[in-house]
Formats: sequence, structure tokens, C-alpha cells
Amino acid sequence: MVGTEYYVALSAIIFCIGAVGVLTRRSAIMIFLCVELMLNAANLALVAYARQWSDAGAAIALAGQGSVFIILAIAASEVAVGLGILVAIFRYRNSSNVDGLAQVRL
Amino acid sequence: MITFWILAIVSVIGAIGVITLKEPVHAALSLVGTLLTVATLYVTLEAHFLAAIQVIVYAGAIMVLFLFVIMLLNVGSDEQATTLPWMKPAAYTVGVVAAVALVSAVVQNINPLPSSDVIAATLQGGEAEQIGEILFSDFVFAFQLVAVLLLTGIVAAVSLVQRKAETVEAAEVAIKERLDAEEAQKREAAVNNAGQQIEAGA
Repeated sequence: MVGTEYYVALSAIIFCIGAVGVLTRRSAIMIFLCVELMLNAANLALVAYARQWSDAGAAIALAGQGSVFIILAIAASEVAVGLGILVAIFRYRNSSNVDGLAQVRL
Repeated sequence: MITFWILAIVSVIGAIGVITLKEPVHAALSLVGTLLTVATLYVTLEAHFLAAIQVIVYAGAIMVLFLFVIMLLNVGSDEQATTLPWMKPAAYTVGVVAAVALVSAVVQNINPLPSSDVIAATLQGGEAEQIGEILFSDFVFAFQLVAVLLLTGIVAAVSLVQRKAETVEAAEVAIKERLDAEEAQKREAAVNNAGQQIEAGA
């Protein structure tokens, strides 16, 4: 069986790739895709730790998998709202470049 | 072990594709590849229900929503230069340093896995029954909150995207006027044409 550390290292690498994408891409839709990547990396780590902690009892071990389910639902609603905001901004400015959104700040 | 390495390499290639491919549709399809490999990794981690949910919800619903919006808005591949020119090299440097630091921290703390019998007995394959039990006992409050959040998301998405009735009406009137004007122009041109032909014939 592959050890937990391999899965967590893979999840760390994917998370860092997603973070680099958020910092370097300028289109809002691409930033969303990179955020999804980061959420998936976190989910992978949670599922890996759920297996690692399976000798601590079912309630603790399955809590990892249960939280992944909750995170999935949160990601789905985040995408719905985020893409709604994106469509509204695009209709108004005809561009999804986040650098031009300076007038939104407080 | 070989399964893990194949899946890891494919998922990292997909993730790099997401941040480097210029076309948004290509990047989204590359993310689908990563999501599917992560679903397969869930199967190797004894989380079968989550693997199915990952494919259905992530690779199915969420990515379809993304592709719809990309194609609806016709988001171009014109990635303009960022206003901060040092941002790109700095981001890549920070990303590589953070990845190396995280991986080395993970590798320094290696705990032995419980025996496969214990894993199989506790997780029982991570089927829907086990996840459902934990969701409706320990996670019941989070479950209710997520239900409220999803409802809020639906309402927010609809209210953000809908237009006021007057604007829709005004847009329709403008389109009709333009079409009428075009038709009148065309008719005028046809009449002129006919007149010229008659003159030429005479």
C-alpha cells in the first residue's frame, strides 16, 4: 500500500500549482479554475488522512471523508455564485481581466 | 505503487496544463483530466463513494458550468500583460519554494499505515452507507448549513444574472429599430437599382 506521505506530497504539489495559477493568470475564469485545483488538493489530503487515521475508530476516520463531501457542496455553490458575478461583470465591462477591476475596491 | 505514480504524474501534468494553457477551454479540459485522476486516487484510498461524487459533481456538473460560461461569454485567449511585471517570476519562485517546503515537511514525518485489515474494517470501502452515517450524526449541523448555503447560491446566481425588465425591453426595441432601418435601406437600394435599370433601358 502506498503511504499517506506520497498522497499528501502530491496534494501539496497540486495545491502550489493552483496557487501559482491564481497569482499569474489575469482572466477571472482562469483564476476560478485554479481555485478549484486548490480545493481538490485539499480534498485529496483529507481523504489520505482519513485512511491514515483508520485505527482511531470509524467516527474519526470517516470524518475526513465526510468533510470532503461538505467541501464539495461548498465548491459547487461557490462556482455558481462566482460565475454569476463573472457574467454580471462581463456584461458590464466586456472583459474578464481582473487587473481592470480597480473600481470595485473600497 | 505503479498505479499511484501513473496517476500522480497525469494529475500534475493536468494541473500544469491548467496554469499554462492559453485557451480557457483547453485549460478547463486539462482540469477535467486532473479531476478524473483525483477521483481514481480516491478509489485507491478506499473512498469509493467520494470517487463517484467527484466524477458526477466535479467533472460533470461544475466543469459543464465552467465550459458553458466560457463559451457563452466567448472569453478570449488574450492574456494581457499584468500591471506588475515582477509578478510572474515571483509567483513561480514562491510556488516552487512552498512546494519544496511542504513536501520536505511531509517526508520528515512518516507514520506507518495501519494494517490493511484495520483499514478495510474501519472505512469499509467508504461506501454511501458509511458517509451517510457520519453526515447525519457528527456532521448534521454542517450538513444543514450546506443545504442553506446551496439554496443561497441558487438565489444569488439567479439574482446576479437576471436583467431588469426595462433593460430587456429597451434592448429588444433597439434591435427592432435597427432591423427596420436596415430593411428600409435595402428597399431604397432596390428601388434605386430598378430606377437605374429602367433609365438604362430607356
